[in-house]
Amino acid sequence: MNSPDTHLSESREVQAEDMIEWYYQQGYSDGLPLVPPTPAKIDAMVAALGGDPSFRECRVPPRWGSLTREVLAINMVMAGCLPEYAAIVRAALLALCDPAFNLNGVQATTHMASPLLIVNGPARVAANMNAGCNAFGSGNRANATIGRAIRLILLNVGGGWPGELDKSTLGSPAKYTYCIAENEETSPFVPYHVEHGYKAEDSTVFVLAAEPPHSVTNHVANDPQGILDSICSAMSTICSNNAVMGGHCAVVIGPEHARTIAKHGWKRHDIRHYLWKNAGNLWKDLYFNDRYGKVYNRSFPAWYKREADAMTPIVPTPDNIHVFVAGGEAGRFSALIPGWGKVSSPVLKAIDPAAAPAGGPVCFDGTCTL
Amino acid sequence: MTSTQHFYDPRGAVEADALAAAVRASAIKGKRLAILDNTKWNAGKLLRGIQDQLAADAGLSAINYYRKHSFSMNAAPELIEEIAANNDLVITAIGD
Repeated sequence: MNSPDTHLSESREVQAEDMIEWYYQQGYSDGLPLVPPTPAKIDAMVAALGGDPSFRECRVPPRWGSLTREVLAINMVMAGCLPEYAAIVRAALLALCDPAFNLNGVQATTHMASPLLIVNGPARVAANMNAGCNAFGSGNRANATIGRAIRLILLNVGGGWPGELDKSTLGSPAKYTYCIAENEETSPFVPYHVEHGYKAEDSTVFVLAAEPPHSVTNHVANDPQGILDSICSAMSTICSNNAVMGGHCAVVIGPEHARTIAKHGWKRHDIRHYLWKNAGNLWKDLYFNDRYGKVYNRSFPAWYKREADAMTPIVPTPDNIHVFVAGGEAGRFSALIPGWGKVSSPVLKAIDPAAAPAGGPVCFDGTCTL
Repeated sequence: MTSTQHFYDPRGAVEADALAAAVRASAIKGKRLAILDNTKWNAGKLLRGIQDQLAADAGLSAINYYRKHSFSMNAAPELIEEIAANNDLVITAIGD
């Protein structure tokens, strides 16, 4: 084991009675107590990340602090993570720092968006993640602390402190942790990452700048159309960022709803296309019947029909609706997760960089696409 | 009772050199003014109003109006270069 002196980051000595209170005083906390790192815990986490503590994984905006493996390890230990989560957290940070995600904007926006993380593949099981009952809620160490480590890094390394570089008007509870896994075991569909060209034995992280989940209740429908019409109802609001500037959203279908949909032979692409075709707003409703003057919204694609009674899609294409299955066995509930809008693209990243899709046709549900 | 403990800094280094701010102009008469609109709905209203008022009574030699590609992203480097090359002053604003 390294002696404390070999740690590159600021491993120094301090006279303190209570390190939890001491870390609060430094301003490193998300508001909850931090786990005080020890040299042994940092060494174990750095080793799980592949060693080389000074290796820089990425820089985190808007402060653009360097996320070395040691800094990553410090934040993970402070969040309560186990070394078994290291590869998931690293992949999530690399996904968030992909320019397509525009983390600089996500961190600084007045909107309440926060990065949602959804994990697919065997890594979920290895980390004991919760994809079942209360998936978005409390009670699971991996879900809670992986999401918390991401938030601590966005705060400490990215500088996204409320009122400073994070200008969110309201924020959301998802800014503490926002991390689940897909329930591949109970899902009647192929997993999300397989739909996107990965093998089932690969593991991936999906990140989306998103609002918290919105519940969709439907206890009566015994067919796909009824369940999906309820989701369309949740999508067809004029006040989400998707409504005013498109972008991407996620739909998390509960296992009972998923079984009903699958029983009728519907596949993932049927769900996405049905939702896209039947959700949206009338153009005139988006612009309050011109009550505040005619507004030309250049955020929308050029091909949208700009006429009062034209139906305006909630997102530009069916592929911008990201479908997952998660939740407990019982309960006829699903969830809509609106995104931040077209100014951030979701990113899907392999946890093992060697597992990138080979390219060529992607085949699932009996259909192949290029 | 206090004791000696190790502590760790979770913030990571910022590996960038600080840039000095430009010297503030002492007068605007005869200067070329750039207005950079972040393309939010209310920013445009505010900045167009400022443009009209300055055009009427500030004695500027030129007012050049620029728009960012997206309000949620940085202005493109080439846009910043163009503004710097062709103007003496810049006004920008966020109107949410």
